[in-house]
Amino acid sequence: MSDKHEEHELHMGIPQYLVIFTILFVGTIITYYVALTDLDSRLFAGANTLVALLIAFFKMTCVVLYFMHVRWNGKLIWLTAAGSFVFLGIMFAFTMQDYLTRGAGIFTR
Amino acid sequence: MEKVLEVRDKTKTPELNYLNNGYSVASWLLTKDHKRIAMLYLASVSFFFMLGGFFAALIRLELMTPNSDLLQAASYNRVFTAHGIIMVFLFLIPAIPATIGNFFVPLMIGAKDLAFPRINLLSWYLYMAGGLVAAYALLQGGVDTGWTFYAPYSTTFSNGWVVVTGLGAFIIGFSSILTGLNFIVTIHTMRAPGMTWFRLPLFIWSHYATSLIMILGTPVIAITILLLALERIAKIGIFDPAIGGDPILFQHLFWFYSHPAVYIMILPSMGIISELIANFSRKRIFGYEFVAFSSIAIAVIGFLVWGHHLFVSGQSIYAGLVFSILTMIVAVPSAVKVFNWTATLYKGSISFDTPMLYAFSFLGLFLVGGLTGLFLGTAGMDIHLSDTYFIIAHFHYVMVGSTVIGYLGGIHYWWSKMTGKEYSEFWGKISAMLVFIGFNLTFFPQFILGYLGMPRRYASYAEELQVLNIFSTAGAGVLAIGMIMPVIYLTASLFNGKDAGDNRWHLPGLEWRTSSPPPTENFYEPPVVTWEAYDFSDENGLEPRKELTKETV
Amino acid sequence: MSDTHAHDYHPPGLQHQFEDMKQQEESNIIGMWMFLAQEIMFFGGLFTAYLIFRSKYPMAFAAGSNHLDAFLGGLNTLVLIVSSLTMALTVYYAQKNNRNMQVIMIVLTMIFGTVFLGVKAVEYTDKYNHGLVPFATWNKKTKGEAQAKTEAPKEVKNFFASEGGKAPAGAKVEEKHDYINPTGQFQWNSQGESNELILEAQKGNFLTEDEKIGYFTNGEIDQKKFEGRVRIFFWIYFAMTGLHALHMIIGLGLMLWLLIMAWRGTYSAQYYSPVEISGLYWHFVDIVWIFLFPLLYLLGRHFIH
Repeated sequence: MSDKHEEHELHMGIPQYLVIFTILFVGTIITYYVALTDLDSRLFAGANTLVALLIAFFKMTCVVLYFMHVRWNGKLIWLTAAGSFVFLGIMFAFTMQDYLTRGAGIFTR
Repeated sequence: MEKVLEVRDKTKTPELNYLNNGYSVASWLLTKDHKRIAMLYLASVSFFFMLGGFFAALIRLELMTPNSDLLQAASYNRVFTAHGIIMVFLFLIPAIPATIGNFFVPLMIGAKDLAFPRINLLSWYLYMAGGLVAAYALLQGGVDTGWTFYAPYSTTFSNGWVVVTGLGAFIIGFSSILTGLNFIVTIHTMRAPGMTWFRLPLFIWSHYATSLIMILGTPVIAITILLLALERIAKIGIFDPAIGGDPILFQHLFWFYSHPAVYIMILPSMGIISELIANFSRKRIFGYEFVAFSSIAIAVIGFLVWGHHLFVSGQSIYAGLVFSILTMIVAVPSAVKVFNWTATLYKGSISFDTPMLYAFSFLGLFLVGGLTGLFLGTAGMDIHLSDTYFIIAHFHYVMVGSTVIGYLGGIHYWWSKMTGKEYSEFWGKISAMLVFIGFNLTFFPQFILGYLGMPRRYASYAEELQVLNIFSTAGAGVLAIGMIMPVIYLTASLFNGKDAGDNRWHLPGLEWRTSSPPPTENFYEPPVVTWEAYDFSDENGLEPRKELTKETV
Repeated sequence: MSDTHAHDYHPPGLQHQFEDMKQQEESNIIGMWMFLAQEIMFFGGLFTAYLIFRSKYPMAFAAGSNHLDAFLGGLNTLVLIVSSLTMALTVYYAQKNNRNMQVIMIVLTMIFGTVFLGVKAVEYTDKYNHGLVPFATWNKKTKGEAQAKTEAPKEVKNFFASEGGKAPAGAKVEEKHDYINPTGQFQWNSQGESNELILEAQKGNFLTEDEKIGYFTNGEIDQKKFEGRVRIFFWIYFAMTGLHALHMIIGLGLMLWLLIMAWRGTYSAQYYSPVEISGLYWHFVDIVWIFLFPLLYLLGRHFIH
């Protein structure tokens, strides 16, 4: 069952919250400036998109684990949080597999 | 085992129970008692069922003759759309979870109420609000797009009340989400001491799976309706190929919910059937864990197969292949259930009471419905059968033949618990048989009609098909009688039925260990569960049924 | 009915259906997470639409996203992150029984939330002014400069063309003003820019099949068609950020209720569950924005600086 931390036991103190906050703040700045540089020609096509999404995922993970306290919640909450993204992924993947495989598809040149 | 602190007559309706605990209108409309909310739902769901049935009657009357003489095509379109919307959104999705589920989930797990009683009440109000909005749209002339609202017709050409009807469906969707949310939390946190996961009745497992689908799927139809409304009002263009959009996107988003929605309709019914078969064979369900996990499997895999509604829509063939294979796979857990139910019957002590008659009907009709689903899931077959009466017959076999029959079986089974009264078994059996006969007479000819090519949603058809259509309409008449009869004798039982007593069927379930009807707080003593599910052994403190003892044989 | 476990001490806020506070708190957290799961799928539908259309028309989307103010978007992201911090601290102080700091933190969260909405309003107004709202009549109606009134207009509109370009005697000749946007239509004016983008993409051979059909008519770039696809981008932008803003407004309402209750000292180390679940909602709204910002504002930015 989901395990709630005891009433007086606080897993995060103010310093820890500020650290996470700084990470999120810096992440935003980084993502902004990276978006302005053309990584697609320097690395590979789609690099900008990939980097932007990776940074976004990382920020989300910080918020979910630390601000939302999921790190200290029981398995049920982990499963709920992760499971929702699995179903979201199913919706994306299975819809896109139609669009990607049509005759005039996205990867057809 | 039963430590009662007060002496009460277990063969009689108790003086104070949830029904007479306050008579004012406010005590009903502002109730937080899940049992009263279930009764509110029962009344409203039954009303909408009758309304949907009225439209069904119009459809069958029109289809008695090959020409569209009773209704013009334009009106016919509105009639079958109304039938679909009312039956799907206002009856099939809420019926079992919101009536029987609301009533029995807390009872079966030994809780005092659901986790969030006020949200439960809100859920009913949202249902009523959505129903009223949809009814308003109906009265204003209704919608002619079919309950599936496909773009571009619904977005560009239809002149009906698409947005208002969509709003009604949107509101009802939130009712559904809140019910699902409530059930999941309740089942996780409010089980009585000793009620472990694998001691839960299978009814609870199937409602848990249903609630998962409600939470994950319903928001997608909500956003689809929103996009539909925006497309219609503001011409966004995401469904309009002329501006760069794709009408198939609508179908993807729509069916992403609406396919799992059919599992919302069937899973609770399967839960009821598990209860009926185990209890009326007085035998533990064969393969309990398999049946329990198959419910979860159906819920999860059910999200992967929606493209089988899009085989002929313009979806890529490769995607069609993937969805077809997955559709085959989703049939497996359902088959597991059917095999396990059948194995439960073997060497069971079967009694043919009305609920069991409904359970038998379910077994046969679900088999046909499920198998024909496999025919349709085969992309090659579907090309020929899509948009014909074969599809209509298939989904009525699973929706009416399975869901509604499960619902009726459950209502009869638990009637004594909910109301404290016994209904007339004689009339119960007659109407169960009428329903079975009427149903098959109505819908079996439709398989043949579909195979012969009669298209769906058409008010007129080729003359050669009239005979089968007349059979179908005749069957609908019998079915209607079979369905109206319970309304009459069940209502009559409220007034002159015999007191049912705590445990009319002599069963070991937790809900049978409190009075009929239960008190507002459900149990006189907070229960502690020490027995397995469906434990019919004598040590379970159960009185043997009178019919089985030597004296009566 | 008898009550064998009469509560001598009823913890504040314990509801009758629960046995103890632990069960209630657990239920509240699971309940809120179920609600958030549902919200994820709700936004997910719009993200799916975004995904599909961006994959079909990346250049149109790049062109559109370059007309969004990434600086304001980034500012909004920072504002929301700060508000997430203050929200987390609200929960922290509630757990620490510190009523005053709780109240301060809630007020700060509300301030930052309002700033977010304010910046959003600025952005939306900017779109309105530039004719980028994809709904007819919802853009600013702008007139251009009127033609000089002193001389008779050289060319009246072709209405009189059959008369040899001259108005029949006695007819009233109207003066023509150049209306840029007489009925508040969606205006996609930056023709040069988008043409450049498409041509560059064509040269580098990274137009998608849908784009090859979608932007061209008879081999020439068709502005109207391109505009249609950019319009889809703007619709998705408004739908997603609009839905997000709606959730922010609901969040602010939630904060207001929380503020009132916190002011009354309702929350303490024993009972802070409502603060915690409101926090979960608020963080969720933040997370949605963390994804919306790069996807809508940043992804086409490297094509045009």
